Amino acid sequence: MSRQLQRKLFIAAFLVPTFLFFSVFVLYPVAKGAHISLFDWSGSSEHMTYVGLDNFKEIVRDPIVWKAIGNDYFLVLGKTIGIVLLATFFAVAVTRLRIRGASFFRIAFFIPNIISIVVIGVLWRFVYNPSIGFLNSFLSLFAAEPVNRPWLGEEGTALWSILWPSIWAGIGFYFLLLVAAIMGIPASLYEAAEIDGAKQGRQFWTITLPLVWEQVKVSVLHIVMTTLNGSFVMVLLMTEGGPDNSTQVLGSYLYQMGFRQFHMGYAAALGVVILIVSLLTTLVLQRLLRRDTVEYS
Amino acid sequence: MLNQPSRALKAVAFLILSVWAAAVLYPLLWTFLSALKDNPQFLTNKPWALPETPLLWKHFTYVWQTYNFGSYFMNSVLVTVVSSIAAIVLSASTAYVFSRFEFRGSRLLYVAYLSAMMIPLILGLIPLFFLLDDFGLINKLGGLAIVYTAWAIPFGVFVLGGFFKSLPKELEEAAYIDGAGYFRTFFQIMLPMAKSGLVTVTIVNALNNWNEYIMGTVFINDPTQYTLPVGIAIMQAEMQYRTEWGPLFAGLLISMAPVLLMYMFFQRQIVSGLTAGAIK
Repeated sequence: MSRQLQRKLFIAAFLVPTFLFFSVFVLYPVAKGAHISLFDWSGSSEHMTYVGLDNFKEIVRDPIVWKAIGNDYFLVLGKTIGIVLLATFFAVAVTRLRIRGASFFRIAFFIPNIISIVVIGVLWRFVYNPSIGFLNSFLSLFAAEPVNRPWLGEEGTALWSILWPSIWAGIGFYFLLLVAAIMGIPASLYEAAEIDGAKQGRQFWTITLPLVWEQVKVSVLHIVMTTLNGSFVMVLLMTEGGPDNSTQVLGSYLYQMGFRQFHMGYAAALGVVILIVSLLTTLVLQRLLRRDTVEYS
Repeated sequence: MLNQPSRALKAVAFLILSVWAAAVLYPLLWTFLSALKDNPQFLTNKPWALPETPLLWKHFTYVWQTYNFGSYFMNSVLVTVVSSIAAIVLSASTAYVFSRFEFRGSRLLYVAYLSAMMIPLILGLIPLFFLLDDFGLINKLGGLAIVYTAWAIPFGVFVLGGFFKSLPKELEEAAYIDGAGYFRTFFQIMLPMAKSGLVTVTIVNALNNWNEYIMGTVFINDPTQYTLPVGIAIMQAEMQYRTEWGPLFAGLLISMAPVLLMYMFFQRQIVSGLTAGAIK
């Protein structure tokens, strides 16, 4: 066998099985999802009626969709601000402030990131449980009479109550990302700053932040994308979108429309909307966050 | 040091870090303590009270048997092991080709794998359900393992592609000169060198698949085939209704234990693997 043929055979043997698998179970379903969005289909019947862009026209007129988009962005904004601020503070503290026990904090803070979202959901439902929950029992210590607030059951508090566990569960990952970035900054820069008499705050703004901006940017984009694509799981586990759609996000609405009400076409169209929203948002953000990346020479 | 951070600043920072550490670690301890309580303790005592003696260790055997957590556990092990192995085989082979061979369309194909990491899974969820149904794989652990494998491929291709690229080419070239074929060179020389990368990717995949919920709950509706996350999500509703809180917490602990153990042993790989996937 010629060398050339061997090479071709090797490449084919190593590429084709993977690509087949990937095409059938990833590419095809995604493309098919876009295709189904053009039909009216209940899933069970053989009748798929082509309706063009009707599903999308209906989506634009659906008040729940707009509410869900608003909630998606509420979670995006809340998570981004909460996680980036806290993770940055923690990362600076364990690196630049030379806090004792830094390695302990690094090991501990990552733990929520390895726990299943289902377990996190159940635990936090116990925090919010009206009668035996942590939060109410704690607040009751300071109140004249026992607090019985159904945090997840009231429209005013439900979405906020989903935001906290999302921040809690997310921080460790970005914290470690930033720790690694800060540790990569040459010590000589800080030494020079100290000789010039720059205090911690000034060092942060003039050295640390500019030099880890790339990682902050990556973190923000990653938080935004994973929230728009995946926050619905937390919603499904905590409230299923209720009460009265007050915590509905696009993903949970898709789940409800598809797997509870069997409007498969409409649900698929919602999936396309999620993709568009998440791509557009990351594109716009990438522009906004563009700032000359500083490199240390 | 000329300019030590001030004592006050350090003290405040340490306090805040400690509060967060407590917020992260206490739920684990609390889950454990709660697993040993019975209902009256939940209803009358404060949630943070310690369990009364005798400690109710029997809750663990109770969920394991009566609530079938034993079977969920085995299902999770099966799906996790099969899909993690399949994913590493499929992604390592393709990643190696990308890192060493140029051919027509190789760039495009690589970009296709990369962009798949940005596609929301939920977009493919409905078609996947019907696809698995056509293959007779709904309510089958095999179906779930196949889907987990396929969706783990882009991550593996990305991380391992970078890993293979970082390995020196000299050994391969020497092997080719000695007359070794492409296959032998890969299996005997490259694969052993890539061990740490393979381990990292496998651990991350195993972790993700062990914890995965949404595909599990959509594709599996047969209680004998539930994985742990699916079983917990469904049982928690039932157990709260029947107010069997203690056993529920025992169940949570059973599902977390393997992951926490893995984290203890493979902390470095888990962290580096998960963060590598984020930086595309």
